[in-house]
Amino acid sequence: MTDANKLYKVRANEFVFSFDAKEVAAVDLIKKSPLEFNIIKDHRSVNATVLSCDASGKKLTMEVDGESYEVEIKDTLDQMLDVMGFGAATTKHIKEIKAPMPGMVLEIAIAEGQAVNEGDKILILGAMKMENSILTHASATIKRIAVAVGQAVEKGQVLVEFE
Amino acid sequence: MQKILVANRGEIALRIMRTIRKMGIKSVAVYSEVDRNAPHVLFADEAVCLGPAPSNQSYLNGDKIIALCKQLGVDAIHPGYGFLSENADFAQKVEDAGINFIGPSPAAMRIMGSKLAAKECVSHYNIPMVPGIDKAIENIELAIETADKIGYPVLIKASAGGGGKGMRIVEKASDMKEQMERAVSEAVAAFGDGAVFIEKYVTSPRHIEVQVVADKFGNIIHGFERECSIQRRHQKVVEETPSPIITPELREKIGDAAVMVAKSCNYTSTGTVEFLMDDKLNFYFLEMNTRLQVEHAVSEMITGLDLVEEQIKIARGEKLSFTQDDLKLNGHAIELRVCAEDPLNNFLPSIGTLTKYVKPTGEGVRVDDGYEEGMEISIYYDPMIAKLVVHGKTRTEAIQKMLQAIKEYKIEGVATTLPFGTFVFEHEAFFSGHFDTHFVKNYYTPEKIKEKQKANAEIAAIVALRYWMDNQKMINPVDNKSTSWKRRLAH
Repeated sequence: MTDANKLYKVRANEFVFSFDAKEVAAVDLIKKSPLEFNIIKDHRSVNATVLSCDASGKKLTMEVDGESYEVEIKDTLDQMLDVMGFGAATTKHIKEIKAPMPGMVLEIAIAEGQAVNEGDKILILGAMKMENSILTHASATIKRIAVAVGQAVEKGQVLVEFE
Repeated sequence: MQKILVANRGEIALRIMRTIRKMGIKSVAVYSEVDRNAPHVLFADEAVCLGPAPSNQSYLNGDKIIALCKQLGVDAIHPGYGFLSENADFAQKVEDAGINFIGPSPAAMRIMGSKLAAKECVSHYNIPMVPGIDKAIENIELAIETADKIGYPVLIKASAGGGGKGMRIVEKASDMKEQMERAVSEAVAAFGDGAVFIEKYVTSPRHIEVQVVADKFGNIIHGFERECSIQRRHQKVVEETPSPIITPELREKIGDAAVMVAKSCNYTSTGTVEFLMDDKLNFYFLEMNTRLQVEHAVSEMITGLDLVEEQIKIARGEKLSFTQDDLKLNGHAIELRVCAEDPLNNFLPSIGTLTKYVKPTGEGVRVDDGYEEGMEISIYYDPMIAKLVVHGKTRTEAIQKMLQAIKEYKIEGVATTLPFGTFVFEHEAFFSGHFDTHFVKNYYTPEKIKEKQKANAEIAAIVALRYWMDNQKMINPVDNKSTSWKRRLAH
């Protein structure tokens, strides 16, 4: 494979893009200073700054339009490794409900061993003057309630486990 | 007045203390266990821990605060907004303890704290009110009869209500029974008071409010209007003054109405009279907020007043030092509430540590905040991090200044309403002034912010890739050398 048709997968925050080397070489880009660039894309003139660069890890922090972006570059080899690793991780089952946001458990609406249906209220999570009902997206039986009323939970913390 | 205790936290506590210091008065901060390192505590002359993080064990503990005032020789309490600021019983206890409450009288707070009592109170002053019934409705027949008279759609509202709770829109008579029952049960659950009333539902309402300032000698002036129609979850997020749709004649009319409302309850201190305005620019009295508002800063920027200073002077028994005619509208001011909420995820709270926090600066840019880099946004309190306020000679200049300030405001670690602000200030409807309280429902979807972020992310990705590739080219010769050096070693 020659340099010109090398494929890169580039992640910037939660967005992922694919570019070939030719495409990237062709963009209208000028260097204003060693770390500052101006690019014209789709008629938009935008300034971008390299805030930090870890060249060996292919990780950079960029600033565009006042927002910063964590960028990770993957070349063809990195992508192949990803694909190989990816196969093993796809058989994960959803067996629990995690907190979608940090908060305080205000009320628990179910009991261990109880069968619940899709859309049933599991508990109420409160944060900053707001109450949010956490519902189940599947019909299942509650195996374990991992939190108690009055407990503060972090985002992503397991709230209940299903059978 | 030698010493004032500020019974609040966050940006408003700090903002109040700045004025207190400017006036040569000592300030006392109160705080909860998680707020030891908060800026308001560091700024104050004296500071006392009230207790654990939950508000009811700290910032809402009125008795403890009053006891503290006696112990420390405090002359006056400034309640800020939220917490104890509209609690008439607390204000009464403060007065009974011989301490000056910086705010209106408990009696005025009581009247305006009840929507029905407020309607009754202002009814003698020829102030326009939304057509409806001004007493609690219990039976369904009376509800339907009232709705027939004023015409559907109607709104069922809880007398003790706020924040959209106990509120129901009814489109036709057959829905009345069910909606009444739900409104009453919601009102009981939320406020412990099931009293509801009915009024005409204004379909394209704008939320316009008027700042009033009243001394203890019967002098009442208004500090012009604030346009607060951009809301999410029935809570304001963008405010500006003057309103882009209000003419000088209408300004005088609505200002006079606000002064009348204040007069009706013998109001003293600063307050805000809220109105609904329909698409034909008819305005109706909604309620009066008996405290300093979050968005008071925009009024300060166009009038040149320091409203906290006015509050303190009024509490000290001073006469207003200016008249209505002295007040002139100077330029345009806009505020964005910078809240730790994720506009891409239904404005849900976003809690975490402020890993990066850099404020915008510049002429006409004011940031009232109560956090610093490295601090944690906790689950216990309001999600507002800061108020970003800008002032320009014209509305267009203010909008441009705001967009630039949002760009310069760097907050990392939590999601904020900053990108939502950009969406609003770039939106045609906002720019033209043709919007109402349904702005978010009518125009906003997270996808619109996402699209923009994606376009910028793509630029970040391309530039990063080019930068990295160019770097590789420069590094490569070195790599080659080392390889051949290795090869030489192997031989």
